[in-house]
Amino acid sequence: MARKMLKDGEVAVADGGGGESYEYDLFVIGAGSGGVRGSRTSAGFGAKVAICELPFHPISSEWQGGHGGTCVIRGCVPKKILVYGAAFRGEFEDAKNFGWEINGDINYNWKKLLENKTQEIVRLNGVYKRILGNSGVTMIEGAGSVVDAHTVEVTQPDGSKQRHTAKHILIATGSRAHLVDIPGKELAITSDEALSLEELPKRAVILGGGYIAVEFASIWKGLGAEVDLFYRKELPLRGFDDEMRTVVASNLEGRGIRLHPATNLTELSKTADGIKVVTDKGDELMADVVLFATGRTPNTNKLNLEAVGVEVDQIGAIKVDEFSHTSVPSIWAVGDVTNRINLTPVALMEATCFAKTVFGGQPVKPDYRDVPCAVFSIPPLSVVGLSEQEALEEAKNDILVYTSSFNPMKNSISKRQEKSIMKLVVDSETDRVLGAAMCGPDAAEIMQGIAVALKSGATKATFDSTVGIHPSAAEEFVTMRTLTRRVSPASKLKTNL
Amino acid sequence: MATATTDLRFSAAATSAKTLDRATVRARRGRFLHHLASRGLHLDHLLPSPFRLRSPFSVCRAAAYAAEGDGEKYEYDLFTIGAGSGGMRASRFASTLYGARAAVCEMPFATVASDALGGVGGTCVLRGCVPKKLLVYASKYSHEFDESHGFGWKYETDPKHDWSTLMTRKNLELQRLVDFQTDMLKNSGVTLIEGRGKIVDPHTVSVDGKLYTARNILIAVGARPSIPDIPGIEHVIDSDAALDLPSRPEKIAIVGGGYIALEFAGIFNGLKSEVHVYIRQKKVLRGFDEEVRDFVTQQMSLRGITFHTEQTPQAITKSDDGLLSLKTNKGTVNGFSHIMFATGRKPNTKNLGLEDVGVKMDKHGSVMVDEYSRTSVDSIWAVGDVTNRVNLTPVALMEGGALTHTIFGNDPIKPDHSAVPSAVFSQPPIGQVGLTEEQATEKYGDVDVYTSNFRPLKATLSGLPDRIYTKLIVCADTNKVLGVHMCGEDAPEIIQGIAIAVKAGLTKQNFDATVGVHPTAAEELVTMRNPTRKVRRNSAGEAKLMSRPYVRSRHVVPSVHKRGKLHSL
Repeated sequence: MARKMLKDGEVAVADGGGGESYEYDLFVIGAGSGGVRGSRTSAGFGAKVAICELPFHPISSEWQGGHGGTCVIRGCVPKKILVYGAAFRGEFEDAKNFGWEINGDINYNWKKLLENKTQEIVRLNGVYKRILGNSGVTMIEGAGSVVDAHTVEVTQPDGSKQRHTAKHILIATGSRAHLVDIPGKELAITSDEALSLEELPKRAVILGGGYIAVEFASIWKGLGAEVDLFYRKELPLRGFDDEMRTVVASNLEGRGIRLHPATNLTELSKTADGIKVVTDKGDELMADVVLFATGRTPNTNKLNLEAVGVEVDQIGAIKVDEFSHTSVPSIWAVGDVTNRINLTPVALMEATCFAKTVFGGQPVKPDYRDVPCAVFSIPPLSVVGLSEQEALEEAKNDILVYTSSFNPMKNSISKRQEKSIMKLVVDSETDRVLGAAMCGPDAAEIMQGIAVALKSGATKATFDSTVGIHPSAAEEFVTMRTLTRRVSPASKLKTNL
Repeated sequence: MATATTDLRFSAAATSAKTLDRATVRARRGRFLHHLASRGLHLDHLLPSPFRLRSPFSVCRAAAYAAEGDGEKYEYDLFTIGAGSGGMRASRFASTLYGARAAVCEMPFATVASDALGGVGGTCVLRGCVPKKLLVYASKYSHEFDESHGFGWKYETDPKHDWSTLMTRKNLELQRLVDFQTDMLKNSGVTLIEGRGKIVDPHTVSVDGKLYTARNILIAVGARPSIPDIPGIEHVIDSDAALDLPSRPEKIAIVGGGYIALEFAGIFNGLKSEVHVYIRQKKVLRGFDEEVRDFVTQQMSLRGITFHTEQTPQAITKSDDGLLSLKTNKGTVNGFSHIMFATGRKPNTKNLGLEDVGVKMDKHGSVMVDEYSRTSVDSIWAVGDVTNRVNLTPVALMEGGALTHTIFGNDPIKPDHSAVPSAVFSQPPIGQVGLTEEQATEKYGDVDVYTSNFRPLKATLSGLPDRIYTKLIVCADTNKVLGVHMCGEDAPEIIQGIAIAVKAGLTKQNFDATVGVHPTAAEELVTMRNPTRKVRRNSAGEAKLMSRPYVRSRHVVPSVHKRGKLHSL
């Protein structure tokens, strides 16, 4: 099928469609990470490309979005900026024992951070527009929806509509935060608003155990708020390695965040003193801000997909095959709207593969194996490959687990009580490193290179043969000589050697 | 469980490490593993799979190292002179992994080393990596304070640094580490003898007059700063002293362009000294990638350090007010509170008795060794900086580990000095692994070079001129990544994982196939799609540039001089 599409693509580019005539070879709905990459790369192959995107606004809605998408405007970038801002508090604390005296008050000017952050994302928004323009992609402002297999209707902010035809349509509309349905939910905010609050909250309540919840807990705590984090499970970050989840939880607590595991919120109400939050355990507390970080929903309900026969799953994510092809032959989808692995670099990979498949004469499937990722809690968590639990699920052989828990050198002076933890999960027969994880300063930066090794099937012996960089935290990954435990997939019993 | 797959037929004890054939090596490795298994250690996963042991055999402790039957003739199986990184690793492994009787001698602890003072832990722990990194941490805060403004942080008064707090805490930590390492040696069953060791004959070491005999002697005495003999040199400090100054230098001249000079320049600059670096050459960090050399100089200049190039120091004078003047071939600069020389290090081989016993040294005084770290005397070995191979702690550890394997595991292993990653903890720091562009071009002729010079996300908010430079050097023929260089925040941490990939001989495609961790600086290393330039060897064998659109001449590297970042007196 991919080959067939490839031929279609080539025909469209080469001779303008030979009979069928479309305005564009490709029309992309949504100029986020996936959409921009898909349109630029396709244009690079010679395709005539248009892309539509909503007007820029930090908070997304049916009518607002912006070039750059979630990552640049409401996700990775502004989040990381706030994490940087928040991490300074810990640095100042640590600086004291290194001899630094900060006399008088340390003031925190939230408005300045917010202004600088907004300035940066506005700049990036402009960069994205310029990149698109330079790639020869036609930019159209407005909300796109699919009329038929080859037609997109763009509704402009003033309500006017225009239709465009294209040989292929790429849906890259992303996803949006959603609120859980409890009484008073209108008082809660999502991560969109949390990145653009007018005032820094003094008391923040966060509902959710995913990476977004954990990151905002670290951000607000670092910027000086009291933070209460509620989640349904015993540990935050479901899906990550259980041992690492425990570490993250204890680090969050160590940094002063109050954790409420296995607890849900049942009601929010407005009082003179702020928002009253009621839990399913009957506790009450007051908050200035309540953040729901309870998941995200694909942006598909205004796309008219049902009418043209593009299938979506029960949460509204577009169903695609391995080439990002939907159930309609001329329509494709990449990124969060397909709810595969919802990460910017994955959307980029999917979009590149799409462009190569359809316009590049080279059908390629995105490869989801060993995709590294990071949680920018303070300190951060980063992983690649399988967790110990996943390795045991998939394993035929015993699993060797190497862990290292150490006091980072900086803490020997700062006296911060926080260990860095590293972990390698190894197949006992093939010696292949199946998974790596780290929680501690610089984990995300460290994991990138480890990911290159893992992706290429590196063995533990290869790790061991690499000389360390001294003194670094990362050298621990190549000096883990002592087995922590050997686990058998059959028994799933943990034994200490 | 499967039975042992290791071939045990070959058990002849070869006398020379070099004459062992493959099968023997294999057999011995098997014995070593049985030996470990009998001691309750299961380290077989550490070895390449063909050698891995499937079942723990109860083989009696292999006394292979005593095969010649003279084991009991000597008090010790291994006597090590110097308890630094290499010496500690070798003696501990000898004792714990092979049951050898190991002793190590070391001089009493002092922050500044001399002929009579040193300390358990050696240069790395006491006068190198560790205290240096602690001071780097301390000094880096001033940059972080500057960065924090752009993120909305404000202080009533500028943060001030108290020198004595830092020194006190640093020394407490060093003392803790000395105690910790001493305990570790003792817990490993190694006999620790305090004093200065000297070799008397191929099997005898004298420690302050008391004689000890050993089947093998290991020289792991390391190196010490070396300064040129010029007038007034008694007024200068070296890196030992620089790590333990009683007060903050007001204005310091650092002579030298190597990594130690740059690291201290960053430390003192961050702790608010006025810093001047004097180098004899045009550029710092000889041997590093040319563009990295330029980049780090630019970035350090932007942080307030002044570089003085092509200046050779000739004399130092001290005036009545106690301030120092530095005279170079280009003139004299007055008013330094301190002058530091970071002009190289010399192996500690004086008065070790080496000449008498016949251990050969090169013209710098480094002990000459073969690939197995054996000296010209059969029973005497040497590892670490004293051999002046690759002078890094992890390399000394590797050499020490390989050595015990060779002697006691009866399994000769050569330490592999290829693709050894390293870091310079300048500010910003450098991380590198593999070949420089110059080395790669020389060796392979045809290479593709990928570079990226970008402003990290943090700098867009801080407003500071910080940038990150990365370079990937790829063999045009095989697509193997030959070298990776990075200068900027977190570079040393980032390069470690990359070093695994380079060591494994991975290709550019392997890098490209890896998904980025977003948003990080490191993701740049897996998203460099277009070569900046392609260097091709022409028929005359001369490397030249190809493919214009991406080409920037290798030979016309934008000079920092031209940008006015360097000051020449």
